[in-house]
Amino acid sequence: MRFWSHVAELVKKDLRTEGRSGEIFFVTIPFGVLALFLIPFALPNDQELLSVIGGGIFWVILLLFGMTLTFRHSETGAQRMLMSMLGMDPAARFVARVIASALLLLAFSLVLVPTVVILYEPITPAGWPILSVILVMVCLGIAAIGTLSGEVTIGLRNRTVLAPLLVAPLSVPLLVPAAVATDSLSSQGSILVPALIILFALLGVTAIGVLTARPLEEASR
Amino acid sequence: MKHVLSFEKVSIRLGRAPILRDLTLTVSPGDVIGLSGPNGAGKSTLLRAAATLIRLATGTGTVLGVDMATAGPDVRARIGMLAHDPAVFGELTLLENLEFVARITGQPEERALEILEAVGLRAAAYRRADCSSHGMARRVDIARLVLTEPKLVLLDEAAAGLDEAAVSLIATAIERTTIAGGAVILVTHDATYLDTVTNRHWRLVDGTVHEDAP
Amino acid sequence: MKPRLIFSGLAGAVLASGLYLAASHPPDSFQGEFARIIHVHVPAAWVAFLAFGVTMVAGLVWLATKNYTFDHIASASAELGVLFTSLALVTGMLWGDVVWGKAWDWGDARMASTALMFFVYIGYLALRRSIDDSEARAKRAAVLGSIAFLQVPLVYFSVTIWRTLHPTPSIRPDGPSMPTEQLKAMLANLAAYTLVYVVFVVWRGQQSSQETLLEERDNFDLGPAGTAIEPPTLGTTT
Repeated sequence: MRFWSHVAELVKKDLRTEGRSGEIFFVTIPFGVLALFLIPFALPNDQELLSVIGGGIFWVILLLFGMTLTFRHSETGAQRMLMSMLGMDPAARFVARVIASALLLLAFSLVLVPTVVILYEPITPAGWPILSVILVMVCLGIAAIGTLSGEVTIGLRNRTVLAPLLVAPLSVPLLVPAAVATDSLSSQGSILVPALIILFALLGVTAIGVLTARPLEEASR
Repeated sequence: MKHVLSFEKVSIRLGRAPILRDLTLTVSPGDVIGLSGPNGAGKSTLLRAAATLIRLATGTGTVLGVDMATAGPDVRARIGMLAHDPAVFGELTLLENLEFVARITGQPEERALEILEAVGLRAAAYRRADCSSHGMARRVDIARLVLTEPKLVLLDEAAAGLDEAAVSLIATAIERTTIAGGAVILVTHDATYLDTVTNRHWRLVDGTVHEDAP
Repeated sequence: MKPRLIFSGLAGAVLASGLYLAASHPPDSFQGEFARIIHVHVPAAWVAFLAFGVTMVAGLVWLATKNYTFDHIASASAELGVLFTSLALVTGMLWGDVVWGKAWDWGDARMASTALMFFVYIGYLALRRSIDDSEARAKRAAVLGSIAFLQVPLVYFSVTIWRTLHPTPSIRPDGPSMPTEQLKAMLANLAAYTLVYVVFVVWRGQQSSQETLLEERDNFDLGPAGTAIEPPTLGTTT
C-alpha cells in the first residue's frame, strides 16, 4: 500500500511541477503542432496524399516530440538523494514517472488529434474509438521507454542527444503496430495482433524498469 | 540499540580502487562526531556509505541495528542527510516541499507549517523554492530533519554559506537528535564549530579514519 | 599449443570449408550465382542475433555477480553484433538490388527492423562510451542491453507478422526449403561464423578489459582518497 501511496504522491508532485513550469503546454505541444503544420509544405499540394499519410504522421510526431517530454525536469543529485533518503522504493519512482509522463502524453495527443484531423483530413476508420485503447497503450509505452532511457542516461553530459537516440528505435515496436492498427481499422481488419505487440512491448519495458530500478538508482548516486 | 553505526574492516571503492580502507569505527547514541580532512579525502564518500547510498566493498557495517548489505528504503527513511546542496524541488513552494516530505514519511501534514515557523520561514512558506535563497532552502532541509526525527543525522558541510541564525538552527537540530537517542556525524572545516558542537573528532587521512583523543 | 590458437585455427578451417562449399554448389535456378551471397547474409544475421543475446545475458550475469569479465563480454559482443548487423544489411541490400531490382524497400519489415536493431545497439555503444565510472557503465549498459534485446524477436517474427518481400525462413520446423548442397553450405557457414564470433568476442573482451584499466589509472585515484591532491607550493612572488 505504501508503494502505491508513494506512486500517487510522486505523480501529483510531477504534474504540479509541470503545471507550474509550463514546459509541456507552452513549448512541447506548440512545437509538435508546428511540426504537423510544416510537413505539408515539404510535400506536393495533394490533399489525398495528406489524407493517406495523416494517421502515420500523427504517430511519428507523438513519438518524436512526446519522447522529449519524458526526459523533462531531470532531477538534481540532491533531489535524487532526498528521494532515496525518504525511503522511497526506486520502483515506485519509476512507475510514478511513467504514469505522469503517460498522462502528459495523452494531453499532448488531445491537441494533436484535432490538429491532424483539420490539417490532414485523414481517412477516418469505422470503429475509430477503439483506437483510443491503442493510444493509451502507446502513450504508456513511450513513457516507459523514455523514463527508462532517461534513467540510464542520467547525469551524462550528452544526455539531451543520447536519450532520444536510445528511445526512438526502441519505440518502433509501438509505432509500427499503432500504424498497422490504424490501417487495419480503415480496411475493417482486426487490430488484435498489433494491440498484443504493443502490450508485449509495454509490459516488457515496464517489467525491466521495475526490476532494474534499484541497481540503476545505485549507479546514479 | 548499542550502536547507531558500526564499521568493521570496511573498505569503500569508487571505480575499482579502494579509496577508503580499514575503517573500523562505532557511533553510539548521543555521539556528535566532527569529521575533517583535506579536500578529496573521502569525507562525503564516508557519509554516503553511512547513509547506505554506496555499497561497502569489503567488511561489514550496520546502521540502526541493520546489516548494511541488506538495508533497504525502510532503514534509509530513519537516516537524515544534508548534502552540499539543499534538497528541495524548485517549482514547489517551501511549504509544499515540506508537506511532500510529511506525506511520504507518514507524518501529519499540519506539522509542516508549524515547523517552518519554528525555523523562521513562516513568511516565506508560500514562496517557490527556486525563488528562495540558498539559506532559505537550507532551512527547509533543517525543517525536514525536525519533521522526520531521524536517528542518524549526516551533515556534509551543511553550515557552509549560512548566517549565524541558521548555523545556530543546525546546532539546535543536532541537540534534538542526541536528546532523542540519535547520533550525528558532521563534516566541517570550522575548528570553532568542531569544538563547540561535537564530542568526538575523526580525521580522514590517507583513506582511513583517525580519532583524536577527547 | 595454446588452446586459443587451436580454437582460432579450427574457426579458420571451418570458415574456409564454408566458403568452399558456398562457392562450389550449383547456382540457384532463379537467382543464379548471386544466390551465394546468402551464405554471408544469413550467418551474419544469425551471429548478430546471437551477439545481442549474449550482450543481454552477460549484462544480467554481471548484475548478479559483479564480475567484470561479463561486462567486457557484453561490450565486445555488442560491438561484434553491430559489425555483423552491418554486414547482414549490406549483403541484404546487394542481394535485393539484384533480385528485387532495388537495394532498399520500405515494404520489407525484416530489413527495416534489422536497420533499427542496428541503431538500437549504436545507442548502446554510445551509452557505454559516455560513462567513465566502470560500475555505473556496467549497470546502465546491462539494463539497456535487456531492453534492446526486445528488438531481436521483433526482427525475427516480423517476417511472419507482416508478409512482405523478404523470403520466409529457409530453415523451418517442417523442413528446409533449399537444395541439400546449398543447405550444407549454409550450415557450414553458420557454424563458421559462430566460431569466428567466439574468437573475436574473447579477444575484444580482453582488449576492453585492458582499456578500462588504463582509463581508470588516468581518471581515478588508484590509492586511498586524497592522493590526487598535493600540498600547494604557491608563494606570493614568482
